[in-house]
Amino acid sequence: MSAVEVHEIRRVFTPRKREPVTALESVSLTIPIGEVHGLLGPNGAGKTTLVKILSTVLLPTGGSARVLGHDVVDEAAAVRPQIGIVFGGERGLYWRLTGRQNLEYWGALYKLSRSEIKHRSAQLIERVGLSERADERVETYSRGMKQRLHLARGLIGDAKVLFLDEPTTGMDPLAAREFRALIGELRGEGRTILLATHDMAEAEALCDRVTLIDRGVILATESPRTLGRVISRFQRIDVEGADDGLLARIAALPGVSSVAPADVGVRIEVAEEGVTSDVLKLLVDSGVTSVRTSLPSLEEVYVQLIGDRGLQV
Amino acid sequence: MRAFRAGVWLELQIIRSSPDTLIPFFTAPLFTIIFLMIVRNGGRHDLQPDALMAPVLMTLWWFALFHGGNLVTGDRWQGVLEWILAAPSSLATVILGRIASIMTIGLVGFFEVWAVGRLMFGVSIPFEHPLALALTLLVTVFAMAGTAVAFAALFVLTRNSYTFANSSSFPFYVLGGVFVPIALLPGWIQPVTKGVFMSWSSDLLRSSLKPAPIDNEWGRLGMVLLLGTLSFLLGRIVLFYVLRRMRTTGELATA
Repeated sequence: MSAVEVHEIRRVFTPRKREPVTALESVSLTIPIGEVHGLLGPNGAGKTTLVKILSTVLLPTGGSARVLGHDVVDEAAAVRPQIGIVFGGERGLYWRLTGRQNLEYWGALYKLSRSEIKHRSAQLIERVGLSERADERVETYSRGMKQRLHLARGLIGDAKVLFLDEPTTGMDPLAAREFRALIGELRGEGRTILLATHDMAEAEALCDRVTLIDRGVILATESPRTLGRVISRFQRIDVEGADDGLLARIAALPGVSSVAPADVGVRIEVAEEGVTSDVLKLLVDSGVTSVRTSLPSLEEVYVQLIGDRGLQV
Repeated sequence: MRAFRAGVWLELQIIRSSPDTLIPFFTAPLFTIIFLMIVRNGGRHDLQPDALMAPVLMTLWWFALFHGGNLVTGDRWQGVLEWILAAPSSLATVILGRIASIMTIGLVGFFEVWAVGRLMFGVSIPFEHPLALALTLLVTVFAMAGTAVAFAALFVLTRNSYTFANSSSFPFYVLGGVFVPIALLPGWIQPVTKGVFMSWSSDLLRSSLKPAPIDNEWGRLGMVLLLGTLSFLLGRIVLFYVLRRMRTTGELATA
């Protein structure tokens, strides 16, 4: 049994007096138990829609999804005790209550006993670093503190599967780093985590595998490292000391996509597998020894697959 | 039961942190003064107990309609509704717990009105049939809570629930015979009032303050109970379908 199985999920929103919007189109995904899985995509890619469907708060238009073997539509009541949800942003809390009161309420909704609620709330408050402010109203919290409280709330039910949607939104770098360490601990406890984010570094640092999603369609699902290799044909070769004639010959090679000045020297980009060795041979034969090849980072993979569309969603 | 208790607990915490919730306790004495002045100046001292019961019912109804009726809408605007639905507890039970908590607090209005009448006008609530009075109040609170669940479900469909709550209050005061007995209303409107639990409550409350034996006490109590239960069941059904619709349309969250 997998932690999450998504089979050809489709979700269409039909706003009043406007054209229907397809948020997810035939999305299929399997996440094994214990995996930290990244869902990576730009704004409007369909990440939150998928997380909401898996959290049972949104119904799919078509297809099916199961969490720990339970269908999210027909067996929502069986899914709910197994999942914890953390969303980014400041909403989703009772602002006039204290952090501890919020947490205790959510503990009660997860049907914990009174002693469990007290014990687990205190433990989680400590774990997310809110001990000193736990008895102050949430309305006095900074955005990062609210985010930590969201995280504690997601953990109060001792969920086996966690859905985290942009969980580090609003956190300062230090808090975000602590959060990532916490994810590592949760992984160590055997929990399955689906992390929706557009933060490449976060996904690369935390995830066993990532799924790239854009405009409701899955582009690829691989480990961050393998994803890099998928487009290794876009490998870069940074060169110093090559003359213009040599660079022109390299630019003329089939499969070389660009030869452009870089911060230091020149960057050669190849667009076909196997071309890198041809370029390297030519460089070495010409006496150029200052050569460095590198695989693209996850961010570059993301940009290559999704395209650089700036602020457009 | 845990979900119900969670609702009760949450509401108590919210009320504690938001004293503005208790505004009806400031208006109840004012209504008491207005109604008592009207009947006294009209020379109808026999109606003074009725004038005391009206603000009690109005206070309870205010809590049910404005506070209880807006619970789901409020949670939706705060972005909490989605996460309650994703939790294992039943939202309807949590809501009922929250409303029960509010309505129980609303009963304080009874003692407040009693105190205002006694201290300012020397008029007391005559406990001619104390058991009937207590039972009617309890059953009325139950019926109001049930109706508030129905309103909570319906108001979430509107963009401005307070407007609807506002416009729903006075028709209920009239149809419920809160101050003016149903028997004095135009004949054509009286059959409609039979379907409003508050018309049975207010008549029974007034009867319980008079020395004469109460006619058909248990039957009338049963009607309040029945109509309250029907409202609650209707509220649960409406809530189920409204939430199902919102899960379909993706409108559980406002942004």
